[in-house]
Amino acid sequence: MTVRSDGLKAVWRRPGGRAGAAFLGFLVLLAWLGPLALPDPFRQFDLVELADAPPSADHPFGTDQLSRDVLSRVVSGARISLAVAALTVALSVTLGAAVGLVAGYWGGAVDAVIMRLVDGALAVPRLFLLLLVLALSDRVPLAVLIILMGATGWFATSRLVRAEVLRLRTEAFVQAAEALGASRRRVIFRHLLVNAAGPLLVAATLGVGDVILLEAGLSFLGLGVQPPTPSWGGMIMDGRPVLESAPWVGIFPGVAITLTVLATNLVGDALRDVLDPRSA
Amino acid sequence: MTRWLLRRALQSVLTLAIALLLLFLVVHALPGDPLAREGDRALTPEQVEQLRRRYGLDRPLPGQLAAFVGGLVRGDLGTSIEYGRPVASLLAERLPATLLLGGTALLLNFSLGIWLGVRQAVRKDSREDRWLTTLSLAGYATPSFWLGLVLANLIGVRWHLLPPAGMRDPLGQAGLWPATTDVLRHLVLPALTLAIVSLAGTMRYQRTAMLEVLRVPYIVTARAKGLSEGRVVWRHAWRNAVFPVLTLFGLWLPILVSGSVFVEAVFAWPGLGSLAVAAVGNRDYPVLMGTSVLVAAVVVLGSLLSDLAYAALDPRVRHG
Amino acid sequence: MARWTHRAWPVAALAAAATTATTPGLSAQRTRDPATAVIVTGGEPSLPVPTLMDGPLNNQGNTDIADQLFLHLAELGPTMMTAGDRAFVPALARSWTRRDSVTLVFELDPRATWHDGVPVTARDVVFTFERARNPAIAPTLAGVLRHITEVKAEGERQVVFRYDRPYGEQLYDAVFHVAPIPAHLLAALPPDSLARSPFARAPIGSGAYRWVRQVPGEFVELAANERFFLGAPAVRRVIFRVAKDADARLNLVLSGEADMMDNIPPPRDNVARVSAQPRVRIIPFPSPTVGYLLFNQRDPRDTTRPHPILSDLDVRRAIGLALDRRQMVRATFGTAGDVPFGPASAVMLWIRHGAMPVRPDVPRARKLLSGRGWSDHDGDGTLDRDGVPLALTLLTTNTSAVRFQLAQQAQEQLRQIGIRLAIDRRDFPLYNQERGAGRFDLDFASATLDPSPSGLTQSWTCEGPTNVARFCDPAVDSLLDLAQRTGDRAAETYQAVLRRIESDAPAVFMYAPSYLAIVDRRFGNVRIRPESLWLALREWTVTGKGSGRSSGR
Repeated sequence: MTVRSDGLKAVWRRPGGRAGAAFLGFLVLLAWLGPLALPDPFRQFDLVELADAPPSADHPFGTDQLSRDVLSRVVSGARISLAVAALTVALSVTLGAAVGLVAGYWGGAVDAVIMRLVDGALAVPRLFLLLLVLALSDRVPLAVLIILMGATGWFATSRLVRAEVLRLRTEAFVQAAEALGASRRRVIFRHLLVNAAGPLLVAATLGVGDVILLEAGLSFLGLGVQPPTPSWGGMIMDGRPVLESAPWVGIFPGVAITLTVLATNLVGDALRDVLDPRSA
Repeated sequence: MTRWLLRRALQSVLTLAIALLLLFLVVHALPGDPLAREGDRALTPEQVEQLRRRYGLDRPLPGQLAAFVGGLVRGDLGTSIEYGRPVASLLAERLPATLLLGGTALLLNFSLGIWLGVRQAVRKDSREDRWLTTLSLAGYATPSFWLGLVLANLIGVRWHLLPPAGMRDPLGQAGLWPATTDVLRHLVLPALTLAIVSLAGTMRYQRTAMLEVLRVPYIVTARAKGLSEGRVVWRHAWRNAVFPVLTLFGLWLPILVSGSVFVEAVFAWPGLGSLAVAAVGNRDYPVLMGTSVLVAAVVVLGSLLSDLAYAALDPRVRHG
Repeated sequence: MARWTHRAWPVAALAAAATTATTPGLSAQRTRDPATAVIVTGGEPSLPVPTLMDGPLNNQGNTDIADQLFLHLAELGPTMMTAGDRAFVPALARSWTRRDSVTLVFELDPRATWHDGVPVTARDVVFTFERARNPAIAPTLAGVLRHITEVKAEGERQVVFRYDRPYGEQLYDAVFHVAPIPAHLLAALPPDSLARSPFARAPIGSGAYRWVRQVPGEFVELAANERFFLGAPAVRRVIFRVAKDADARLNLVLSGEADMMDNIPPPRDNVARVSAQPRVRIIPFPSPTVGYLLFNQRDPRDTTRPHPILSDLDVRRAIGLALDRRQMVRATFGTAGDVPFGPASAVMLWIRHGAMPVRPDVPRARKLLSGRGWSDHDGDGTLDRDGVPLALTLLTTNTSAVRFQLAQQAQEQLRQIGIRLAIDRRDFPLYNQERGAGRFDLDFASATLDPSPSGLTQSWTCEGPTNVARFCDPAVDSLLDLAQRTGDRAAETYQAVLRRIESDAPAVFMYAPSYLAIVDRRFGNVRIRPESLWLALREWTVTGKGSGRSSGR
């Protein structure tokens, strides 16, 4: 308990960690409560008069080509982008942790086979795997997109967890627990997983930023979250053709991506300094 | 040493084989018909059937796998639907442009990243250290295509400083010097974009490696002897800190390759990335497949070379 | 000193690179040849050889180049009329005559030669059609040319085409789809090795331009054929520069790196950006596309039964009257688009003959609906009848931003008269599948049509193969049949077809866009051809000195 709160305090004490955590907290609040106070992100105010209107008192971030309020869309885009990223990372971290634990704990042939497969999967960059699947398959609903991004994101995590497990198994307290006849389940969950949680948390935090960038990249190719669901990547693409004449349409979601990914990385770095000082 | 080399090389071959099998399964386990594309004239079912036969899509899965493996052995990656030409020759045409862009980006990345990483280590925990970290992370956090679009628009179109797209001017003068500067001018913006978004990693590794070296006794001794700070840092410490960082290029390859997909598309750079993006648009699956195969091979080879370089510098690895 | 070099070399290197790269004078300010045209295009040519351009390979990248290299027997005239024998302009063939209703004789121009100097003969034409009509070599092309039963040479200069039936577009079929290729170079080559032959990498044709070189992924260079028998072109060198991305293309034109491009990409703001460039002008030309909201005549759940709502002509008419199409087209395309009359693209103006679509009339739409029992009984804002709400689903694809934007506007306008429209956007293959199976209420389709109106039979006759809505009016069938048999006076018959379709209201015909080409002002006598944009390049002139890229701002 104290370790955990000390850890959080230590993150907060670092200027980068504090700024990042504060921004993420603010963003989550905004995504949660903002839509209550803002206009409907799907509402078209006036297609003829108010399309691509510059920022004003009524529309602080301006409007897009369909005369929708950009601020509302950035805020509800935060919901989608954060939720997509969080779910994707939850999936990939779970998969990665499970595979890493299995490989590291059982070792031997199981480990060898799993790790060769992981090596093979890591040789194809995640983007190319997704391009192949998404470009050649039919319409992909949001849930499937999340599953696909999660299923292609756990390879590196499993390596990380395996290395951590291998290290922990040589530690005195784990060997002691095993010698004292602790059950396999107890060793895995109570000792190995808990003690590997630090690097796992760092990887998850950094992973959130990566998934936001990945979704933006897929949207650039028309393969990301499908409109009209507002995602930041999709909104940048909406703004792309009017970059010159109505820059606000694309700049605000672009800035939102940069700030959010920056914040997750600052927090991730601070966490790493605190939880995993060897690699800092 | 030879045995270690051999084992490492065999491992790479196995890795690549697994990667290729994975790719094949991903593509062929999917539903959807690559021949159903928008924009074509209406084809009759018989015509579609004829095309399917021509591209080997009518065979059962094991047959297609055998054809795929057999093709790979002969260097045959199939025929592009959109181009009607062998995928292997398309890839061969496009590879040099991607290598040039990726190589230049890597060079920029290393020069800037190493230099800034050392500065950060020397001034650890200073305001400059923190700002450099934040700025490099901001670069990493910016979608590469977005950065590219903005640069092309401002520097290329609005200020007319550099060409906004392409790799060379088709009207350019002949001769080595004009041709080289022409390509260089086109190279600046895409390479810079790629370097900016990938800088943060190199900086961090260099900073960490440098911090470790600066703690080593002989550096402390050198300082005690009264050598100038610059001499200590660059002559003594940096030499020992930089090589491990350089061997990391294998780690950056997947990032650079993925980044080049977007950057090439934005800048109409005639490399593999543009080819892949067009193939996504056209659902030209032989080309997408071929590009992925080539990319996997490059990544495996890169990580092998990276390991070899590291081992050459650090003999412990070979025995470890 | 050592310190300086170590610390600063990356900066110095960067600075040096930046200086060389941005220094004007190395390449930016050199004088440029005004007679060289740089066209930036999205389509990369891969096999610009007419008989190989089949199926997916019949794409813009290939046709743009092939139409410069290979001269057709004849070309479409300015009206774009495809029926009859009189509206065409001679090219490789000097003249043509009719022996009977199924026999057409072409007389080749004796001055015509291939780029290697060998004269073009009747044998070349016969050889080309042997290849093009062979379904094993060119399945799509062979299908298009199915009415041609025989092509044979009579002497060196005469070619006889025989058809399986009399119809209006016999000449069109003989000249439009494929241009002759040189038999003396290719006859010895097996058909399936042509694609990998040296010829395919550097084709030799009979057109106004000859092949110079291709740099893969970057550009193709062509040079004027000095011996071209219809007159050597004034534009002496043409570069087709490839940039797949529409914004990258526009950037190349705006920065002065290219002279022209096919179409200003959306949105409308880009038109203003281009207009602000004094160096170029915008040339609108008709596009072959027409977009329409297609009403399913059959119940999507059981296609043997009529559609519960849309089989009613008055409901279909009311939907058409409720939509202000002119305003929607204006908001989406600006002035570069029009409301079509029937399923006729802007290219087919000759069959439209000046007919005008109906104007929006909301009161009449309401009256038509209430006359059929549709009114808001339960007060929820949506019309209903016998407890069934007037709610429909519009199927469309997610590949088209334009259609999505228009669909959303239609949704809002229909809501105002109490019709609830849901928009179902699908990925293209799935969209196609749903559409083909007839599982939709409304389908927002976009058809890219051949210049020929004979394609109307595909979607608008009772047995049409792509008639997914099962629209069936025997009167339309017989009118179309008549129009197809008609030669030089086909326009009036086709207009009767369009009028009949409009009154049946099988669809609301939404938009027929124009494309906006950008062309540098130094070129004169500029004509953009809808069927192949740069086809008339050989007749363009070069006026004055090149404006140069340094003055491009």
